[in-house]
Amino acid sequence: MFPFTYHRPADLDAARGLVAANEEAKLLAGGQTLIATLKQRLAGPSDLVDLAGVPGLAGVSRGGDALVIGAMTRHADVAAAPLVREALPALAELAELIGDPAVRNRGTIGGSVANNDPSADYPAACLGLAATIVTDRRRIAAGDFFLGLFETALEPDEIILSVAFPVGGAAAYEKFPNPASRYAMAGSFVWRGEGAVRVAITGAGQEGVFRWSEAEAALAGDFTPRALEGLALDGDAMIADIHGSGAYRAHLAGVMTKRAVARIVGQG
Amino acid sequence: MDLTGSQRIEAPRDEVWRALNDPEVLRQCIPGCQELTQASPTEFTAKVVLKIGPMKATFAGSVTLSELEPPSGCVITGEGQGGVAGFAKGGAKVWLVEEEAATILNYEAQAKVGGKIAQLGARLIDSTAKKLAGEFFGAFGRAVAPQAAPEADEAAAQ
Repeated sequence: MFPFTYHRPADLDAARGLVAANEEAKLLAGGQTLIATLKQRLAGPSDLVDLAGVPGLAGVSRGGDALVIGAMTRHADVAAAPLVREALPALAELAELIGDPAVRNRGTIGGSVANNDPSADYPAACLGLAATIVTDRRRIAAGDFFLGLFETALEPDEIILSVAFPVGGAAAYEKFPNPASRYAMAGSFVWRGEGAVRVAITGAGQEGVFRWSEAEAALAGDFTPRALEGLALDGDAMIADIHGSGAYRAHLAGVMTKRAVARIVGQG
Repeated sequence: MDLTGSQRIEAPRDEVWRALNDPEVLRQCIPGCQELTQASPTEFTAKVVLKIGPMKATFAGSVTLSELEPPSGCVITGEGQGGVAGFAKGGAKVWLVEEEAATILNYEAQAKVGGKIAQLGARLIDSTAKKLAGEFFGAFGRAVAPQAAPEADEAAAQ
Protein backbone atom coordinates (compact mmCIF):
# COMPACT_ATOMS: atom_id res chain seq x y z
CA MET A 1 0.00 0.00 0.00
CA PHE A 2 0.89 3.61 -0.38
CA PRO A 3 0.56 5.63 2.82
CA PHE A 4 -2.76 7.31 3.55
CA THR A 5 -4.46 8.97 6.48
CA TYR A 6 -7.24 6.92 8.05
CA HIS A 7 -10.32 8.67 9.45
CA ARG A 8 -13.22 7.17 11.32
CA PRO A 9 -15.77 9.97 11.64
CA ALA A 10 -18.48 9.57 14.27
CA ASP A 11 -21.27 11.18 12.26
CA LEU A 12 -22.36 11.88 8.71
CA ASP A 13 -21.49 15.58 8.73
CA ALA A 14 -17.92 14.83 9.73
CA ALA A 15 -17.65 12.17 7.01
CA ARG A 16 -19.03 14.52 4.41
CA GLY A 17 -16.65 17.28 5.51
CA LEU A 18 -13.65 14.99 5.13
CA VAL A 19 -14.47 13.82 1.60
CA ALA A 20 -15.57 17.27 0.47
CA ALA A 21 -12.34 18.84 1.70
CA ASN A 22 -10.05 16.61 -0.35
CA GLU A 23 -10.65 15.28 -3.81
CA GLU A 24 -8.03 12.56 -3.30
CA ALA A 25 -9.97 11.17 -0.33
CA LYS A 26 -11.96 7.96 -0.73
CA LEU A 27 -14.91 6.68 1.23
CA LEU A 28 -14.43 3.23 2.76
CA ALA A 29 -17.49 1.00 3.20
CA GLY A 30 -16.77 -2.74 3.36
CA GLY A 31 -13.50 -2.39 1.51
CA GLN A 32 -13.79 -5.65 -0.43
CA THR A 33 -12.76 -3.97 -3.66
CA LEU A 34 -10.95 -0.89 -2.41
CA ILE A 35 -8.63 -2.56 0.12
CA ALA A 36 -7.57 -5.22 -2.40
CA THR A 37 -6.82 -2.44 -4.88
CA LEU A 38 -4.79 -0.51 -2.31
CA LYS A 39 -2.80 -3.61 -1.40
CA GLN A 40 -1.81 -3.97 -5.05
CA ARG A 41 -0.83 -0.29 -5.09
CA LEU A 42 -3.25 0.28 -7.93
CA ALA A 43 -4.68 3.31 -6.20
CA GLY A 44 -3.17 5.80 -3.79
CA PRO A 45 -5.80 7.93 -2.12
CA SER A 46 -4.51 10.52 0.36
CA ASP A 47 -7.24 9.80 2.92
CA LEU A 48 -9.62 6.96 3.68
CA VAL A 49 -12.87 7.98 5.33
CA ASP A 50 -14.29 4.88 7.02
CA LEU A 51 -18.07 4.93 7.33
CA ALA A 52 -18.11 2.14 9.91
CA GLY A 53 -18.37 4.61 12.79
CA VAL A 54 -21.29 6.57 11.37
CA PRO A 55 -24.42 5.50 13.23
CA GLY A 56 -27.64 4.51 11.49
CA LEU A 57 -26.18 3.31 8.20
CA ALA A 58 -26.61 -0.44 8.78
CA GLY A 59 -29.75 -2.48 9.13
CA VAL A 60 -32.95 -3.45 7.38
CA SER A 61 -36.32 -1.85 8.00
CA ARG A 62 -39.73 -1.73 6.43
CA GLY A 63 -40.92 1.72 5.43
CA GLY A 64 -44.41 1.62 3.92
CA ASP A 65 -44.28 -0.30 0.65
CA ALA A 66 -40.51 -0.45 0.60
CA LEU A 67 -37.81 -2.47 2.18
CA VAL A 68 -35.06 -0.08 3.22
CA ILE A 69 -31.55 -1.49 3.49
CA GLY A 70 -28.93 0.71 5.10
CA ALA A 71 -25.86 1.38 2.97
CA MET A 72 -23.46 -0.27 5.42
CA THR A 73 -25.51 -3.47 5.73
CA ARG A 74 -23.28 -6.50 4.99
CA HIS A 75 -24.31 -8.97 2.30
CA ALA A 76 -24.52 -11.78 4.88
CA ASP A 77 -26.92 -9.71 6.99
CA VAL A 78 -29.15 -9.01 4.00
CA ALA A 79 -29.15 -12.73 3.16
CA ALA A 80 -30.12 -13.67 6.72
CA ALA A 81 -32.58 -10.88 7.55
CA PRO A 82 -36.09 -12.28 8.15
CA LEU A 83 -37.59 -9.05 6.80
CA VAL A 84 -35.78 -9.53 3.48
CA ARG A 85 -36.44 -13.26 3.25
CA GLU A 86 -40.12 -12.66 3.77
CA ALA A 87 -40.69 -9.55 1.65
CA LEU A 88 -38.13 -10.02 -1.15
CA PRO A 89 -36.73 -13.56 -1.03
CA ALA A 90 -35.00 -13.09 -4.39
CA LEU A 91 -32.93 -10.29 -2.89
CA ALA A 92 -31.89 -12.45 0.07
CA GLU A 93 -30.86 -15.20 -2.33
CA LEU A 94 -28.88 -12.78 -4.45
CA ALA A 95 -26.99 -11.55 -1.38
CA GLU A 96 -26.20 -15.14 -0.47
CA LEU A 97 -24.58 -15.71 -3.88
CA ILE A 98 -22.18 -12.74 -3.73
CA GLY A 99 -18.47 -13.57 -3.62
CA ASP A 100 -17.19 -15.77 -0.83
CA PRO A 101 -17.89 -15.76 2.94
CA ALA A 102 -15.25 -13.10 3.59
CA VAL A 103 -16.78 -10.79 1.00
CA ARG A 104 -20.30 -11.45 2.29
CA ASN A 105 -19.33 -10.71 5.87
CA ARG A 106 -17.46 -7.50 5.09
CA GLY A 107 -18.88 -6.17 1.83
CA THR A 108 -21.83 -3.77 1.94
CA ILE A 109 -24.72 -2.97 -0.35
CA GLY A 110 -23.80 0.71 -0.46
CA GLY A 111 -20.22 -0.08 -1.44
CA SER A 112 -21.32 -2.47 -4.17
CA VAL A 113 -23.81 -0.05 -5.64
CA ALA A 114 -21.41 2.92 -5.49
CA ASN A 115 -18.65 0.91 -7.17
CA ASN A 116 -20.97 -0.28 -9.96
CA ASP A 117 -18.70 -3.08 -11.06
CA PRO A 118 -20.11 -4.38 -14.38
CA SER A 119 -20.24 -7.89 -12.90
CA ALA A 120 -21.64 -7.07 -9.46
CA ASP A 121 -24.94 -8.61 -8.37
CA TYR A 122 -26.72 -5.83 -6.47
CA PRO A 123 -27.02 -3.45 -9.45
CA ALA A 124 -29.19 -6.08 -11.19
CA ALA A 125 -31.55 -6.22 -8.20
CA CYS A 126 -31.68 -2.42 -8.04
CA LEU A 127 -32.69 -2.13 -11.69
CA GLY A 128 -34.94 -5.21 -11.62
CA LEU A 129 -36.84 -4.05 -8.56
CA ALA A 130 -36.78 -0.35 -9.52
CA ALA A 131 -35.04 0.56 -6.29
CA THR A 132 -34.30 4.07 -5.12
CA ILE A 133 -30.80 4.99 -3.99
CA VAL A 134 -31.08 7.40 -1.07
CA THR A 135 -28.08 9.66 -0.51
CA ASP A 136 -27.21 12.43 1.92
CA ARG A 137 -28.76 14.95 -0.48
CA ARG A 138 -31.33 13.30 -2.77
CA ARG A 139 -33.17 10.20 -3.92
CA ILE A 140 -32.04 8.66 -7.22
CA ALA A 141 -34.06 6.09 -9.17
CA ALA A 142 -31.93 3.05 -10.04
CA GLY A 143 -32.64 3.68 -13.73
CA ASP A 144 -30.90 7.07 -13.43
CA PHE A 145 -28.17 5.89 -11.11
CA PHE A 146 -26.06 3.38 -13.07
CA LEU A 147 -24.38 5.30 -15.88
CA GLY A 148 -21.87 2.85 -17.30
CA LEU A 149 -18.70 1.00 -16.46
CA PHE A 150 -18.02 1.91 -12.79
CA GLU A 151 -19.94 5.13 -13.30
CA THR A 152 -22.86 6.31 -11.24
CA ALA A 153 -24.83 9.50 -10.78
CA LEU A 154 -23.05 10.08 -7.44
CA GLU A 155 -21.11 13.29 -6.87
CA PRO A 156 -17.55 12.67 -5.64
CA ASP A 157 -18.45 13.59 -2.06
CA GLU A 158 -21.99 12.18 -2.06
CA ILE A 159 -22.72 9.45 0.48
CA ILE A 160 -25.29 6.67 0.00
CA LEU A 161 -27.47 6.26 3.10
CA SER A 162 -29.72 3.41 2.02
CA VAL A 163 -31.30 1.56 -0.87
CA ALA A 164 -35.11 1.33 -0.87
CA PHE A 165 -36.65 -1.64 -2.70
CA PRO A 166 -40.38 -1.57 -3.46
CA VAL A 167 -42.09 -4.69 -2.14
CA GLY A 168 -44.51 -6.66 -4.28
CA GLY A 169 -44.61 -8.84 -7.37
CA ALA A 170 -42.54 -11.95 -7.91
CA ALA A 171 -38.83 -12.02 -8.63
CA ALA A 172 -35.93 -14.37 -9.18
CA TYR A 173 -32.21 -13.98 -9.75
CA GLU A 174 -30.11 -16.48 -11.65
CA LYS A 175 -26.43 -16.11 -12.28
CA PHE A 176 -23.60 -18.08 -13.78
CA PRO A 177 -20.71 -17.30 -11.47
CA ASN A 178 -17.09 -17.27 -12.46
CA PRO A 179 -15.83 -20.33 -10.57
CA ALA A 180 -12.89 -18.44 -9.05
CA SER A 181 -14.22 -15.01 -8.15
CA ARG A 182 -17.97 -15.75 -8.06
CA TYR A 183 -18.49 -12.60 -10.06
CA ALA A 184 -21.37 -13.00 -12.48
CA MET A 185 -20.30 -14.11 -15.95
CA ALA A 186 -23.91 -13.26 -16.61
CA GLY A 187 -26.74 -12.72 -14.17
CA SER A 188 -30.40 -12.00 -14.78
CA PHE A 189 -32.80 -10.47 -12.31
CA VAL A 190 -36.39 -10.88 -13.46
CA TRP A 191 -39.34 -9.19 -11.79
CA ARG A 192 -42.99 -9.63 -12.60
CA GLY A 193 -45.67 -7.32 -11.24
CA GLU A 194 -49.18 -6.31 -12.26
CA GLY A 195 -48.95 -6.09 -16.05
CA ALA A 196 -45.26 -5.30 -16.00
CA VAL A 197 -42.00 -7.22 -16.35
CA ARG A 198 -38.45 -6.08 -15.75
CA VAL A 199 -35.30 -7.94 -16.78
CA ALA A 200 -31.96 -6.60 -15.57
CA ILE A 201 -28.73 -8.17 -16.85
CA THR A 202 -25.40 -7.90 -15.05
CA GLY A 203 -21.95 -9.34 -15.78
CA ALA A 204 -22.43 -9.21 -19.51
CA GLY A 205 -22.82 -5.67 -20.84
CA GLN A 206 -19.77 -3.57 -21.59
CA GLU A 207 -21.53 -0.60 -20.05
CA GLY A 208 -22.42 -2.54 -16.92
CA VAL A 209 -25.88 -3.48 -15.76
CA PHE A 210 -28.76 -2.86 -18.20
CA ARG A 211 -32.45 -3.59 -18.82
CA TRP A 212 -33.09 -6.09 -21.59
CA SER A 213 -36.10 -4.39 -23.11
CA GLU A 214 -36.73 -6.96 -25.89
CA ALA A 215 -37.00 -9.71 -23.29
CA GLU A 216 -39.30 -7.54 -21.17
CA ALA A 217 -41.60 -6.95 -24.13
CA ALA A 218 -41.70 -10.65 -25.02
CA LEU A 219 -42.37 -11.68 -21.42
CA ALA A 220 -45.08 -9.05 -20.95
CA GLY A 221 -47.14 -10.88 -23.56
CA ASP A 222 -46.27 -14.43 -22.56
CA PHE A 223 -44.49 -14.97 -19.27
CA THR A 224 -42.82 -18.30 -20.08
CA PRO A 225 -39.23 -19.28 -20.88
CA ARG A 226 -40.46 -20.16 -24.37
CA ALA A 227 -41.32 -16.53 -25.05
CA LEU A 228 -37.59 -15.84 -25.05
CA GLU A 229 -36.80 -18.32 -27.83
CA GLY A 230 -35.16 -16.57 -30.75
CA LEU A 231 -34.28 -13.47 -28.73
CA ALA A 232 -30.59 -12.72 -28.48
CA LEU A 233 -28.45 -9.95 -27.13
CA ASP A 234 -25.77 -8.44 -29.34
CA GLY A 235 -22.49 -10.25 -28.60
CA ASP A 236 -20.48 -7.24 -29.76
CA ALA A 237 -21.96 -5.15 -26.94
CA MET A 238 -21.01 -7.73 -24.29
CA ILE A 239 -17.84 -8.01 -22.24
CA ALA A 240 -15.16 -10.14 -23.91
CA ASP A 241 -12.18 -11.26 -21.83
CA ILE A 242 -10.08 -14.28 -20.96
CA HIS A 243 -13.10 -15.85 -19.21
CA GLY A 244 -15.45 -15.75 -22.15
CA SER A 245 -16.31 -14.08 -25.42
CA GLY A 246 -19.07 -11.57 -25.97
CA ALA A 247 -21.16 -14.13 -27.84
CA TYR A 248 -20.81 -16.56 -24.94
CA ARG A 249 -21.99 -13.97 -22.44
CA ALA A 250 -24.88 -12.94 -24.68
CA HIS A 251 -25.98 -16.58 -24.79
CA LEU A 252 -25.50 -17.04 -21.03
CA ALA A 253 -27.61 -13.98 -20.27
CA GLY A 254 -30.45 -15.54 -22.26
CA VAL A 255 -30.14 -18.85 -20.44
CA MET A 256 -30.07 -17.16 -17.03
CA THR A 257 -33.15 -15.14 -17.93
CA LYS A 258 -35.04 -18.28 -18.96
CA ARG A 259 -34.09 -19.96 -15.69
CA ALA A 260 -35.24 -16.97 -13.66
CA VAL A 261 -38.56 -16.89 -15.53
CA ALA A 262 -39.01 -20.64 -15.00
CA ARG A 263 -38.46 -20.19 -11.26
CA ILE A 264 -41.03 -17.42 -11.03
CA VAL A 265 -43.56 -19.50 -12.99
CA GLY A 266 -42.80 -22.43 -10.68
CA GLN A 267 -43.44 -20.28 -7.60
CA GLY A 268 -46.76 -19.15 -9.14
CA MET B 1 -7.56 -6.33 -28.83
CA ASP B 2 -8.67 -4.33 -31.85
CA LEU B 3 -11.08 -1.44 -31.97
CA THR B 4 -12.55 0.04 -35.07
CA GLY B 5 -14.97 2.87 -35.47
CA SER B 6 -15.89 5.89 -37.42
CA GLN B 7 -17.32 9.24 -36.68
CA ARG B 8 -18.76 12.13 -38.66
CA ILE B 9 -17.33 15.53 -37.80
CA GLU B 10 -19.05 18.64 -39.11
CA ALA B 11 -15.89 20.39 -40.26
CA PRO B 12 -13.74 20.44 -43.40
CA ARG B 13 -11.00 17.85 -43.64
CA ASP B 14 -8.12 20.35 -43.46
CA GLU B 15 -9.45 21.63 -40.17
CA VAL B 16 -9.83 18.12 -38.75
CA TRP B 17 -6.31 17.30 -39.85
CA ARG B 18 -4.88 20.41 -38.16
CA ALA B 19 -6.67 19.54 -34.93
CA LEU B 20 -5.30 16.02 -35.04
CA ASN B 21 -1.80 17.50 -35.01
CA ASP B 22 -2.50 20.13 -32.38
CA PRO B 23 -1.09 19.20 -28.96
CA GLU B 24 -3.59 21.41 -27.14
CA VAL B 25 -6.55 19.71 -28.83
CA LEU B 26 -5.06 16.28 -28.16
CA ARG B 27 -4.45 17.13 -24.51
CA GLN B 28 -8.07 18.16 -24.06
CA CYS B 29 -9.38 15.06 -25.78
CA ILE B 30 -7.21 12.23 -24.44
CA PRO B 31 -9.15 10.94 -21.42
CA GLY B 32 -7.22 11.62 -18.21
CA CYS B 33 -4.43 13.54 -19.97
CA GLN B 34 -2.68 15.85 -17.53
CA GLU B 35 0.20 17.00 -19.69
CA LEU B 36 1.10 16.76 -23.36
CA THR B 37 4.28 18.37 -24.54
CA GLN B 38 5.48 18.54 -28.10
CA ALA B 39 9.06 17.29 -28.44
CA SER B 40 9.20 17.48 -32.22
CA PRO B 41 6.61 17.94 -34.99
CA THR B 42 5.72 14.26 -34.69
CA GLU B 43 6.61 13.38 -31.10
CA PHE B 44 4.89 14.21 -27.86
CA THR B 45 5.43 13.25 -24.26
CA ALA B 46 2.36 12.71 -22.15
CA LYS B 47 1.18 12.09 -18.63
CA VAL B 48 -2.15 10.32 -18.43
CA VAL B 49 -4.16 9.27 -15.41
CA LEU B 50 -5.99 6.03 -16.13
CA LYS B 51 -8.95 5.27 -13.92
CA ILE B 52 -10.74 1.94 -14.06
CA GLY B 53 -13.20 1.71 -11.21
CA PRO B 54 -11.22 1.66 -7.99
CA MET B 55 -7.87 1.61 -9.80
CA LYS B 56 -6.07 4.80 -10.59
CA ALA B 57 -2.62 4.86 -12.13
CA THR B 58 -0.53 7.57 -13.72
CA PHE B 59 1.16 6.63 -16.96
CA ALA B 60 4.10 8.60 -18.31
CA GLY B 61 4.89 7.98 -21.94
CA SER B 62 5.22 9.10 -25.47
CA VAL B 63 2.95 9.66 -28.44
CA THR B 64 4.31 9.50 -31.98
CA LEU B 65 2.69 10.36 -35.29
CA SER B 66 3.96 8.46 -38.31
CA GLU B 67 3.00 7.52 -41.86
CA LEU B 68 1.80 11.07 -42.26
CA GLU B 69 -0.29 11.70 -45.34
CA PRO B 70 -1.70 15.17 -44.86
CA PRO B 71 -4.56 15.77 -44.84
CA SER B 72 -5.90 12.25 -45.19
CA GLY B 73 -4.38 10.19 -42.43
CA CYS B 74 -1.63 9.03 -40.13
CA VAL B 75 -0.72 6.42 -37.58
CA ILE B 76 -0.69 7.41 -33.92
CA THR B 77 1.28 5.21 -31.55
CA GLY B 78 1.73 5.61 -27.88
CA GLU B 79 3.21 3.80 -24.96
CA GLY B 80 3.40 4.48 -21.31
CA GLN B 81 4.79 3.14 -18.07
CA GLY B 82 2.51 3.14 -15.08
CA GLY B 83 5.12 2.12 -12.53
CA VAL B 84 3.94 -0.75 -10.39
CA ALA B 85 0.61 -0.77 -12.21
CA GLY B 86 2.15 -2.00 -15.47
CA PHE B 87 2.42 -0.67 -18.96
CA ALA B 88 0.12 0.25 -21.77
CA LYS B 89 0.82 0.64 -25.45
CA GLY B 90 -1.30 1.08 -28.44
CA GLY B 91 -1.66 2.46 -31.88
CA ALA B 92 -4.35 3.78 -34.11
CA LYS B 93 -4.51 4.19 -37.85
CA VAL B 94 -6.66 7.20 -38.53
CA TRP B 95 -7.91 8.24 -41.92
CA LEU B 96 -10.12 11.13 -42.87
CA VAL B 97 -12.62 11.01 -45.70
CA GLU B 98 -14.35 14.07 -47.05
CA GLU B 99 -18.10 13.95 -47.22
CA GLU B 100 -19.42 17.19 -48.67
CA ALA B 101 -18.61 19.85 -46.05
CA ALA B 102 -18.06 17.30 -43.30
CA THR B 103 -15.37 14.75 -42.56
CA ILE B 104 -15.64 11.11 -41.66
CA LEU B 105 -12.94 10.09 -39.23
CA ASN B 106 -12.20 6.36 -39.32
CA TYR B 107 -9.97 4.57 -36.90
CA GLU B 108 -8.50 1.17 -36.36
CA ALA B 109 -6.81 0.88 -33.01
CA GLN B 110 -4.95 -1.78 -31.10
CA ALA B 111 -4.21 -1.70 -27.40
CA LYS B 112 -2.01 -3.82 -25.19
CA VAL B 113 -1.86 -3.64 -21.46
CA GLY B 114 0.53 -5.59 -19.29
CA GLY B 115 1.57 -5.97 -15.70
CA LYS B 116 -0.56 -5.91 -12.63
CA ILE B 117 -3.29 -3.71 -14.00
CA ALA B 118 -3.79 -6.24 -16.80
CA GLN B 119 -3.92 -9.22 -14.43
CA LEU B 120 -6.40 -7.66 -12.08
CA GLY B 121 -8.33 -5.75 -14.63
CA ALA B 122 -8.25 -8.37 -17.40
CA ARG B 123 -12.01 -8.69 -17.54
CA LEU B 124 -12.28 -4.92 -17.91
CA ILE B 125 -9.53 -3.97 -20.32
CA ASP B 126 -11.53 -4.41 -23.52
CA SER B 127 -14.56 -2.56 -22.26
CA THR B 128 -12.40 0.21 -20.84
CA ALA B 129 -10.36 0.61 -24.02
CA LYS B 130 -13.53 0.83 -26.06
CA LYS B 131 -14.95 3.40 -23.69
CA LEU B 132 -11.76 5.48 -23.73
CA ALA B 133 -11.59 5.38 -27.53
CA GLY B 134 -15.21 6.52 -27.67
CA GLU B 135 -14.49 9.33 -25.20
CA PHE B 136 -11.44 10.46 -27.15
CA PHE B 137 -13.11 10.59 -30.55
CA GLY B 138 -16.29 12.05 -29.04
CA ALA B 139 -14.33 14.86 -27.37
CA PHE B 140 -12.30 15.33 -30.53
CA GLY B 141 -15.43 15.76 -32.61
CA ARG B 142 -16.76 18.34 -30.15
CA ALA B 143 -13.45 20.20 -30.05
CA VAL B 144 -13.25 20.51 -33.84
CA ALA B 145 -16.92 21.20 -34.48
CA PRO B 146 -18.30 22.60 -31.23
CA GLN B 147 -21.78 23.34 -32.59
CA ALA B 148 -22.52 19.67 -33.20
CA ALA B 149 -21.90 17.15 -30.45
CA PRO B 150 -21.93 13.76 -32.11
CA GLU B 151 -21.06 10.77 -29.98
CA ALA B 152 -18.84 8.13 -31.47
CA ASP B 153 -21.59 6.52 -33.49
CA GLU B 154 -19.92 3.26 -34.17
CA ALA B 155 -17.31 1.64 -32.03
CA ALA B 156 -16.99 -2.09 -32.13
CA ALA B 157 -14.39 -4.35 -30.57
CA GLN B 158 -13.34 -7.20 -32.80
